[in-house]
Amino acid sequence: MTATPTSATEDLADVTRVLAGDVQAFEGIVRRWQGPLVNMAWRYCRDRGRAEEMAQEAFLRAWRGLAHWRRESSFSTWLFALAANVFRSELKRFPTVNVTMDEIAEPSAQATQHTALQEKSSHDEVRRAVLALPHRYREPVVLFYFHEMDLSAAALTMGLPEGTLKARLSRARALLRSRFPHLNQESSDPRIAALTTGKEA
Amino acid sequence: MNRTSKNNSEIDLNPIDHILVSEEKLIPSSGFLTSVMERVHEEARQPAPIRFPWKRAVPGILLAAGVFGMGAYELVRQAIPAAQALTLTPPHLSITVQRPLEQAAWVAFALAASLASWLLSRRLTGQSGLL
Repeated sequence: MTATPTSATEDLADVTRVLAGDVQAFEGIVRRWQGPLVNMAWRYCRDRGRAEEMAQEAFLRAWRGLAHWRRESSFSTWLFALAANVFRSELKRFPTVNVTMDEIAEPSAQATQHTALQEKSSHDEVRRAVLALPHRYREPVVLFYFHEMDLSAAALTMGLPEGTLKARLSRARALLRSRFPHLNQESSDPRIAALTTGKEA
Repeated sequence: MNRTSKNNSEIDLNPIDHILVSEEKLIPSSGFLTSVMERVHEEARQPAPIRFPWKRAVPGILLAAGVFGMGAYELVRQAIPAAQALTLTPPHLSITVQRPLEQAAWVAFALAASLASWLLSRRLTGQSGLL
């Protein structure tokens, strides 16, 4: 989930116009980033209405703080980090109705899953299990997969060193694997394999 | 083992990775953009926040700091001779009172150690009740 060179140029142009007093120029920013921000918020709370509210709040904070973007990092990096802060504090104020990992039913074994419906339900259980992870492990998982497994992008969004994030991800993945043993297959992706050796910094 | 494409390269994912990375994209509702822009325009119409009147406040703050400083100085100045005049003699406790007090101190120490250990374990498990 990163900005393309075109969108980066457009972001910069829009931010410059907004800072010069053209309020309407902010619409371009919202138009480009509404999808990613709503999807990111959705991964934090898994409630569509709330995800849109949280994304809206993130855009408002971005509007207020646009002058604080120091242009050292890309606009998208700044926006995602700001949004993550907003979502974190919103969920602290009004937590989602959460279940513990033990309350989540383990999907039936793969051999018995024939229908698309069963598969969808099994996938939903795994995704709900992410929200049942302890807080320190939940957000790294949410952001790592939101950023399509780009560790450095997730670390930048969270404002954590990559090593720390890698260690937390490793622990989170171990917890998920222990909850869903039949889905436990080693990945040959080197980015994933590296996570299994992570130690918290 | 599922495969997904990223940066023009095929990547092998385990099923959990595949489930978490391949989530369906949510499309924001049709009114989302309008709603955000309405709020942005609302904020833009509001007058800029009034700055804190530092020029007017500084003399008051300095005056208050001076008064408190003087008060603290006087308090210390008068407390030193009074403290010197005090003679500190440990209260005499009979052996029948001393024993239970000693035991109570050990009980308090044990309770404090238990509390510290409970807090530490909660911190280590991320306060989730998972572990």
